[in-house]
Order: sequence, then structure tokens, then C-alpha cells
Amino acid sequence: MEIFFNILLSGILLGGIYSLVSIGLNLIFGVVRIVNFAQGELVMLAMYATFFCFAKFGIGPYYAVFLVAPLMFVVGLAIQRIVLQPLQSEPMMQIFATFGLLILFENSVLAITRGEGYSLAGTYSRAVIDIFGLKASVSRLIVFLAATAIAIALTLFLQRTMAGKAIRAVIQDRHSARLMGINVSRTYLLTFALGSALAGVAGALLAPIYTLSPYIGGNFILAAFAVVVLGGLGSVPGAYVGGLAVGLMEAFAGYYVDPALKQAIWFIIFVVVLVLRPSGLMGQVGAEEVGLREQN
Amino acid sequence: MSAPADSEIANVTPAPLAAALVKYSGLLLLSAIPLALFWNNPYWINILAYTYLFAALAAAWNIIGGFGGQFSLGHGVFFAIGAYAVARLYLDVGLTPWLGIFPAAALATAVALLISWPTFRLRGPFFAIATMAINEACFALANYSDRITGGPRGILIPFRAGFANMIFVERWKYALLMFAFMVIVVLITVWLRRARLGHYLMAVRADEDAASAAGINVLNVKLQGMALSAFLTGIGGGLFAMYVRVIDPPTLFTLPDIGVKFALITLIGGIGTIIGPVVGAILIVPLENFLRGWLGGEIPGGHLIVLGALLVAAALFLKRGVVGAFLAAARRFRRAR
Repeated sequence: MEIFFNILLSGILLGGIYSLVSIGLNLIFGVVRIVNFAQGELVMLAMYATFFCFAKFGIGPYYAVFLVAPLMFVVGLAIQRIVLQPLQSEPMMQIFATFGLLILFENSVLAITRGEGYSLAGTYSRAVIDIFGLKASVSRLIVFLAATAIAIALTLFLQRTMAGKAIRAVIQDRHSARLMGINVSRTYLLTFALGSALAGVAGALLAPIYTLSPYIGGNFILAAFAVVVLGGLGSVPGAYVGGLAVGLMEAFAGYYVDPALKQAIWFIIFVVVLVLRPSGLMGQVGAEEVGLREQN
Repeated sequence: MSAPADSEIANVTPAPLAAALVKYSGLLLLSAIPLALFWNNPYWINILAYTYLFAALAAAWNIIGGFGGQFSLGHGVFFAIGAYAVARLYLDVGLTPWLGIFPAAALATAVALLISWPTFRLRGPFFAIATMAINEACFALANYSDRITGGPRGILIPFRAGFANMIFVERWKYALLMFAFMVIVVLITVWLRRARLGHYLMAVRADEDAASAAGINVLNVKLQGMALSAFLTGIGGGLFAMYVRVIDPPTLFTLPDIGVKFALITLIGGIGTIIGPVVGAILIVPLENFLRGWLGGEIPGGHLIVLGALLVAAALFLKRGVVGAFLAAARRFRRAR
């Protein structure tokens, strides 16, 4: 039984990581209707920025997050403004462009670091806390709490504030939103930057957990897409719950089936959800079909 | 979906099949000139073999990705199935690859239909994500299933030269083989462009709902397009396996090198056009080889930085590909006269 609870805990903590990475992706996906293949690379860039803060200025990752997140906000603004906004009516070209950014970021970091692996793990991820007799890594627990806090804060932001309401209006119907006086392209800009800033938060908080590599984005992006499909397009609670679900499934499958097959597990999740409920657990029914067609 | 590439061209009634076959055969023969010039130069012959092979694979992708508008990133799976199946049939059963490519391609087609049936419910970017996930899942499975794929070690096909083995001492024979494959695939797309299925595919690309309302069985048409595309991709995978003779999961499944490369070549050349994939391959494959040789040693990943930047630039400034830009310029020139 103790093994079961240990797997449960590690699954929830892993799920926290996936939630944190997926929330930003899903926000962009739901609002701007862009499949941002480069989201994992934004997390990767943020991890390197965090490491840089620590190595150069001795700023720890939990302080650096307040520098890295605004930095990634600006990066997101630039990407949306320069690359994606001109392609607004061309979904194919957007896929193409974000994939280009993925290759560009990945290999630029590879060229700069010359493939050397960096790690903050020695300094930060040793600490362990006792929860009802189960051992949990403090840095992973922080990620889980941050994902929870962000999910709540973002939900409140979308429900209560004017900017959040504008974003939700654009999710529902961009044409009507425009008629109601909402500046749609500014909403896109804000949303993409917000999604990038969330990737920045994720990167800073994940930096102590993973050994940094230019290719680390690939570890997150597929899981994040599985989460988005599972949770539902554009739904923040969906991304949070979906992240936990994917984390749990991966942890249990890793123990009871085979860790080498985790990607096959994600794929099974994909297909089952796609066949049974293509709109995801918490998404609007039909959004996956209707939402992506008209892009004018 | 926005109608890519040649929506204007698509409305034009194409030239009769026989005339078009002659015209495109002539165009393709032009691309054989470097083969005739460099047939004895091992460096160029290797680049040419890859160029022809990827032109053919991009043309195969173009059937469902370009004409059908279904942006598949999972064609690496069909490519890999073709490669593994040809290698296994050759090594275990002793079946000559000349025949082995057909059951291999049939298997790729069967798998394509099986995974397309659920994923074709999805439109646009969702379809792209799902097919990308399939590629990654198969990557993991190929690493895992040691007994079929040789796992991470891969499969080594021993060098036993002979026509029946599709293994040649003279490298130019490979390039000629790839050239012939490219000609066949491109001529199939010439036929398709004029066939009922081709018109249906383009109707589906332009507007699925309208196509459905006009009495087209959308799912059926997409499945047929995918089957043809996957079959040809499977053959390409088999030829690739016999050419490189060492196949392992990273060479078959790495997205920027295989699955996405097909789409990239087509997009740069001109999506939905007949000759676009060939033009794209002629531009991209030698360029990548050149950049790898020039930058690869100095800067790790240097050639991919350039390629990534090129991708973004092409998306921004070359939306209709080289062929599309060329056709637009020609049209403007004609109007100006």
C-alpha cells in the first residue's frame, strides 16, 4: 500500500509539472488559436535564463522567477507581433512558423552552450519534506503549489477583470467580440505574452529539477499537447486537471507497465479522448471543429 | 482552413492528361542533368540521391497535405514502417527488396488507415498535433520493440552487392533509382490532379462542409488520399533503408529530419502544386548538406539555426512557395503586357 501512495504522490507532483507547462500553452491555444510548437522551447529558454541568473549574479531560481517571467512576457510580445500576427489568417503557415522557431531556439542554445549540460540540482533539489510518512521533493512540491495558485489566479483573472472578460469573449466568438469594441489583435498580443510569461514561470521553477539541455522542451511539449486535448481547448481548469491526470497515468503506467512506454501512454490518452470526446473533458463541445475554421 | 497555394490555379481546368504527362516528364528530365554530369562524383551523387528521394516523399506528402489540406506531421511513421518492413523481409525471408517494397507499403497503408480513422475527425492544427503525437509514440515503440526493429541499435543490412538485393557498388545506380521513383510519384500526382479523387480532395481542402453538402463523403475521400500518400511514403522508406543500410529510430522518426521535412520541402516549393515538392527538394536538400558541411563542425546545430530561420522567413514572405511566387510573377507579367 505504501508503494501505491508513493506512486500516487509522485504522479501528482509530476502532474503539477505538466499542469504548469500546459496552462500557458492552452491559453494561447484557446484564445489565439495557434498551435505553438515552440512553447516547450520557451520553457527551455526560461530555464537557461534562470541558470544564467544564478551562475552570473547568484540569484536563486525562486527569486529569478520574478525576472524571468517578465522577460518571457516581452519575448512573447515580440513573437506574436513580428511572426504570428502577420500570419493570422494562415493556420498552416503558423504551424510552419512556430516549428521554425522551435528549431531556431533549440539549436541557438545548442550552439551557445556547445551541448554542455548545466544543472542547479545539486543546490536546490536535495531538500525533502515528509508528508504523512511519504517523502516529497520540496522543489517539486513548490511546482505543484505554483501550478495550483496560477490556475486559481488565472481563472479569477479571466472571470473578474475587464481584460480577462475580453479574452473570454474572444474565445467564444471573435467577430462578435470585435463588434462589441474589443481590440482583438491586442487581446491576442496580451494572451500570447501571458502564455509566454507562464512558460517563463514554469522554466524558472523547473530549472532546479531538471538537468538543462537544449532539447528539454521536447519532453514537455507532447505531454502538454496531451493535456490540452484531454483538458479541453482554452480551459484553464481543464489544463490543470488534465495535467494531474496525465501525470498520474504516467506514474502508474511507469510502475506497472514500463517506463519506456510513457509516450505510448500519452498517445493512448490522445486517441481515446479524441474518439470519445474530441472537445476534451472541460472544453466546449464542438470547439475543436468549429473554432479553428474561420480565421478572418 | 484557408485554401493554400494555388486556389486560383485549382479553378483552371488542367491540360489533358497525356499532354501534361509529357510536359512534366520533360521538366523532370531537366532535373536529371546533374545526375548525368556528376555520376562519378560520390559527394554529389549522395546529395542527388537524397534530393530525388525527398522530392518523391514530399510529392507523396503533398497528395494529402497539399491537395487534401490535411497537415500531417506523422508521415515519418509510414516511412519507418516501409523501411523496417523491407529490411525485415529481406533479412528474415530473403525477399528481394524489389518485391518487398509492395507488402511493406501495403502495411504502411493499413497502419495509415487505422490511425487516420480517428484522427481525421480533427481539423487543421488539431490534426497536426495528433499526427505529431503518433510519430512520437511510434518513435518510443520502435525503441522499445527490440525484436522487430532492433531497438535503439537499429538494423544493419550487410553489404552484398547485386541487382536482386538492390545493393549496388556504383553509387549512381542508387541516384538513378531514386530519380525513377521521383518520376513515378510526380506522374501519379499529375494523374491525381485530373482524376475524380484529386478534385474531391481539393474540394475538401477548400471547405469540408460545402464538400459534404455537395455529396462528397469527406472521410472516405481523406482516407483514400491518405492511403495513396502513405503507400508511396512506405515505398520511399523501403528505398531509403536499402540505400543507407543502417536504420535506427532516430534516423526514421526525428521530426525535423523526416516527418516535418516532407511538409517543409513542399511548403517551400509550393504546396498543392505538382512541381513544388521537386523544386523544394532541389533547394532544401543540397542547401542543408552544404550548411552542415560549412557550419556543422564549427557551431553545433549551426545548419539547423539557418534552416529554422529560413522556415520562419518562408512562412512570412513566401506563403505560396517558390512555384507560387513564380506563377504570380508570371501572371503579373502577362497582365502588364
